[in-house]
Order: sequence, then C-alpha cells, then structure tokens
Amino acid sequence: MVVADGLTGIDGRRIDPSVLDGKAVLVVNVASQCGLTPQYEGLERLQERYGAAGFTVLGVPCNQFAGQEPGTPEEIQQFCSTTYGASFPLTEKLEVNGRHGHPLYERLTAVPDADGRAGEVDWNFEKFLISPAGEIVARFRPVVEPEDAQVTRAIERVLP
Amino acid sequence: MTVASVTVKATAVQLGDRLRARSGAELTVTRIDEEFMGRANMRAFVEDSEKQWFKMPALRDGDVEFRRDDAVD
Repeated sequence: MVVADGLTGIDGRRIDPSVLDGKAVLVVNVASQCGLTPQYEGLERLQERYGAAGFTVLGVPCNQFAGQEPGTPEEIQQFCSTTYGASFPLTEKLEVNGRHGHPLYERLTAVPDADGRAGEVDWNFEKFLISPAGEIVARFRPVVEPEDAQVTRAIERVLP
Repeated sequence: MTVASVTVKATAVQLGDRLRARSGAELTVTRIDEEFMGRANMRAFVEDSEKQWFKMPALRDGDVEFRRDDAVD
C-alpha cells in the first residue's frame, strides 16, 4: 500500500498497516508553531466525521518550514493531543522536500494540485488525499482549510 | 573568527547569504522565490543542498536576521 510502506509512527514503532490499508487517507505535513496550526481543529473534525466510514488523517510532523516543528516526538504528541485533541495517527518527523525527502513524499509531490502545479510542498499543512486503492487522487495547498467543500467532496468520493 | 548577526531588509538578501529563522535554525540561501503562497508582498528563501532543504518566508519590506562571518586575526 502506498501509505503505510516503511512508515514509523511518532512513538518510534512501525505503523500497523491495518491503520491505513483500505482507507481513504488525508496525508498532511503538520507543525506546532505555524500560523496554520489551528487547522488541527478541522483535521480532527474530519477524523470524527468520516473515521467510522473508512477514512483517516495521517499527520506528518516536519521541521523544514522555518523550523516550526522543533519539538521531540513526545512534545509533538503531547501538543497534538492536549491542545487539539487529535486522535489521528502521526508519523515520526519526516522530510517532505529535498534530496533527503521521504519516499512517500517523492510519490505525493509528483501529483499536481488543482492548478496543475506539481513539485515541492509549499508549506506546513499541505494535504494529499489517497484512495483506499492507494491512488493519490487530490492535492490541496496549505491555505485550503481541512473542511473546505473541495476537500470534503473529494473525501466523500473515495470513501470505501 | 567571530560571527556577527545583523538584520537586513528581505529585499537585500542574495544567493549565498546565511540567514537565521526565528526558531534559531539557519540556512544558506540557494534559491529565492519572489512570492510566497501566492503573496507578492513576500519572498521565500530556500536552502536546497545536500545538507538540508529548508524554507523561510519573509515580508518583502521586513527584516531578516543575517549571519556574517568576520575573520579576526
């Protein structure tokens, strides 16, 4: 499966493929000290709204954007759960851009957004939607809110 | 060798300059994007090197922290 292969969770353990396999997955690079960090609220609401229908958010902490995710895994996990009540899984801190970018992001960033632009992740909270079959079906830039109609429509189209 | 830190206008930053983000992280500018997420009033400074990929945006008329290495005999 395109998402779970080789992914380690924020707790340092391999992410159980059953957490992601067969689900629609919204992959989001997150950061705790960004102006967009309140998007965690919308992401958690998506998780609550669609989680039982075969959907999950997958948060990917990343410190490549102005160093806005500097914390340890424990600090990141604590911040997400206590500040925003985030219940969705987080990976370990990853690089999403550059020559040391994670293989998952090599695949994700090959997909264009609605304007036809592929390539680098622009900033924190860029979103990629992966279908249950493992196809990358949509890309939303950071300014698109998690609960924007274009995101929810795309999720509803690919729910299993 | 002493390292001085000064602020410069974002518009004055050039390729090769060494900058420090508010987080304390540093980058050597290898690319300058003349807008940031569609905002023409911002520039984004990127280090895309073997060492790291790092991006730091700044308001065009704002200041950024600039690291200058001064050799001292």
